[in-house]
Amino acid sequence: MDTILSVKDLEVEFSTYGGTVKAVRGVSFDVTRGETLAIVGESGCGKSVTVQSLMGLIPMPPGRITNGTATLNGKSILNLPAAEANKFRGVEIGMIFQDPMSSLNPTMTIGDQIAETLKVHRGKSDREAFSMAVELLERTHIPEASKRAKQYPFEFSGGMLQRAMIAQSLACNPAILIADEPTTALDVTIQAQILELMLELQRTENMSIILITHDLAVVARMADRVAVMYAGQVIESGTVDDIFYRSSHPYTLGLKEAMPSNTHDRDKSLTPILGSPPDLFKPPTGCGYCARCPYAMSVCAEHLPPATRISESHEAKCWLHHATAPRIKELHQLDDQDAG
Amino acid sequence: MLAYTLKRLIAGVITVWFIATATFIAMHQVPGDPLMNDKAVSAEIRANLEAKYGLDKPVTEQYFIFLGNMLTGDFGISFTQQNRKVNDIIRDHFPVSATLGLLAIFFAATGGVLWGALTAVYRNRLPDIIIMFLVILGISVPSFVFAALGQLFLVNLNSLAGQSIIPVAGWGTFSHMLMPSMVLGLGTMALLTRLMRSSMLEIVNEDYIKTARAKGLSPTRIFFRHQLRNAILPVITVLGPQIAAITTGGFVVELVFAIPGLGRYFVQAVQQLDYTVIMGTTVFYGAFLVLMVIIVDILYGFIDPRVRLS
Ligand SMILES: Nc1ncnc2c1ncn2[C@@H]1O[C@H](COP(=O)(O)OP(=O)(O)OP(=O)(O)O)[C@@H](O)[C@H]1O
Ligand code: SF4
Ligand SMILES: [Mg+2]
Repeated sequence: MDTILSVKDLEVEFSTYGGTVKAVRGVSFDVTRGETLAIVGESGCGKSVTVQSLMGLIPMPPGRITNGTATLNGKSILNLPAAEANKFRGVEIGMIFQDPMSSLNPTMTIGDQIAETLKVHRGKSDREAFSMAVELLERTHIPEASKRAKQYPFEFSGGMLQRAMIAQSLACNPAILIADEPTTALDVTIQAQILELMLELQRTENMSIILITHDLAVVARMADRVAVMYAGQVIESGTVDDIFYRSSHPYTLGLKEAMPSNTHDRDKSLTPILGSPPDLFKPPTGCGYCARCPYAMSVCAEHLPPATRISESHEAKCWLHHATAPRIKELHQLDDQDAG
Repeated sequence: MLAYTLKRLIAGVITVWFIATATFIAMHQVPGDPLMNDKAVSAEIRANLEAKYGLDKPVTEQYFIFLGNMLTGDFGISFTQQNRKVNDIIRDHFPVSATLGLLAIFFAATGGVLWGALTAVYRNRLPDIIIMFLVILGISVPSFVFAALGQLFLVNLNSLAGQSIIPVAGWGTFSHMLMPSMVLGLGTMALLTRLMRSSMLEIVNEDYIKTARAKGLSPTRIFFRHQLRNAILPVITVLGPQIAAITTGGFVVELVFAIPGLGRYFVQAVQQLDYTVIMGTTVFYGAFLVLMVIIVDILYGFIDPRVRLS
């Protein structure tokens, strides 16, 4: 397969007054051309820190990348000085953020901000860059783009700003678009439109998307592959079908049960995951999910579960997949399929 | 922008009217009157003088006469300086004060932005620590101390050089203006430095700076195009009030450096209860300050599109 981005054993920590936060504890994933990889997990599990460390956006200090590699088309991209990082930031990887309202410079016109990328990376003249900016706004379906390009962020709605952000990130035709919760701050109807736009652009531009979200409905709609994160680690990864129909980690099961769905039985209530994630100042020696897991065994508290390959595309980190572990009903579907 | 400017102007006119009225009321609340100082004023002469200056009329009538005169730009005649028109005093001495004040503001603003940006870049390192120490001095030490120190410095400089490089006092050439305007602007510069520093540090954490980095812009470009302009905004908002502070500080600095500005006349007039001079200079100064604040507001509008366009 055509792997564009490959992240291995990434570890990131922050030194704070309270001690060292181990925000990312050995994350690995690959992104192949044209696919959407969704990274899911609850608040604070390290999703943003993971992608921001790839983009060199972690404030250092207090942040520090302590281990791991990340290669983009074979070239290492971790811990680069700004001048080196700027050869791929905004060029090969574009990025959009959660809050479009604060993600654009309030004293610069939208058109100028998009044009800036083209001037810096493509050496375009002011006028050329601006007219390309207008085209980009048109590509993201902003009506009256040439007029809108001359306006300032405060004259745009949230949804329109996110479109403008997307337009800006597409300026240099990046191979990868990283979208960190791009719709969380938007109305539901607007959310759907933005996701639709991303899907459309992905098809036309043949780019890969890394989509961060904690909404499984968004994952189901957008993703080809999914990495489920918990307490700074990827605890399960696989195709979207692997994750939804052959969930192999109790945390993934818990996420699914906490999610409403169309086919959901109305009489059956949603089950939230009780408790809270572990303190990342003192990360657990064993499985991070241990304190909340209904199937926890004594081994779980003491030893980190190894990654078990469940199929070609599917991996999970849980002791239940060990040969001597008891068989759990919810995970049986998987075993049945393996048998059949 | 036009509506914005117009609104500011109307507010300005009302402010000036308010200043005029307050001055007038305050003037008439102070015990005594300008004629008290001349010891040998007989009742007859006193009555004559009161008639001449209109002091025998009812207060409300005096008020309207005063307002009417202000509108036509006639500030009357001084009580204490024979036949000297207040307008003449203002014409002769105000430009000196205004030059001093504007130069001081210029030093304060450029210095404040520069030092503030520098300290933010060198945050918690030696240049930051040194400058921020000086800033605390600048804010807490009154300007007459700096004025004296500045003079002392010039005296030493000139004696070292064996000739007068920079004049120690007086007025006339640009080299006369240098030291007093720097001394006058120092406090404000310190204040603006601190403000600019915290503003810069706040903006480093803004989402749009993260966007700029994710776009692959160079740190220099981010600094000049994205940080500086946004960081200057809060600095400009305090510039208006600071102009007022500099003006009042100007009285002291004028005195120390023997500068023939309006300040001396103002202080003298207050001591001698010279009604017309006090009211004339106060209202004129007030109007000037209001105008400066309006200019600052309009400048702000140019930098911040949210203000200009809404
Ligand atoms: N600048 C920082 N200083 C200290 N700790 C930080 C910093 N940035 C992130 N962290 C810590 O890293 C951990 C992971 O944060 P991250 O922002 O990646 O979470 P997330 O998965 O993106 O959550 P959310 O869904 O809320 O965005 C958190 O525990 C957070 O406290
Ligand atoms: S390793 Fe143990 S505690 Fe962790 S998820 Fe699996 S069963 Fe639960
Ligand atoms: Mg996040």
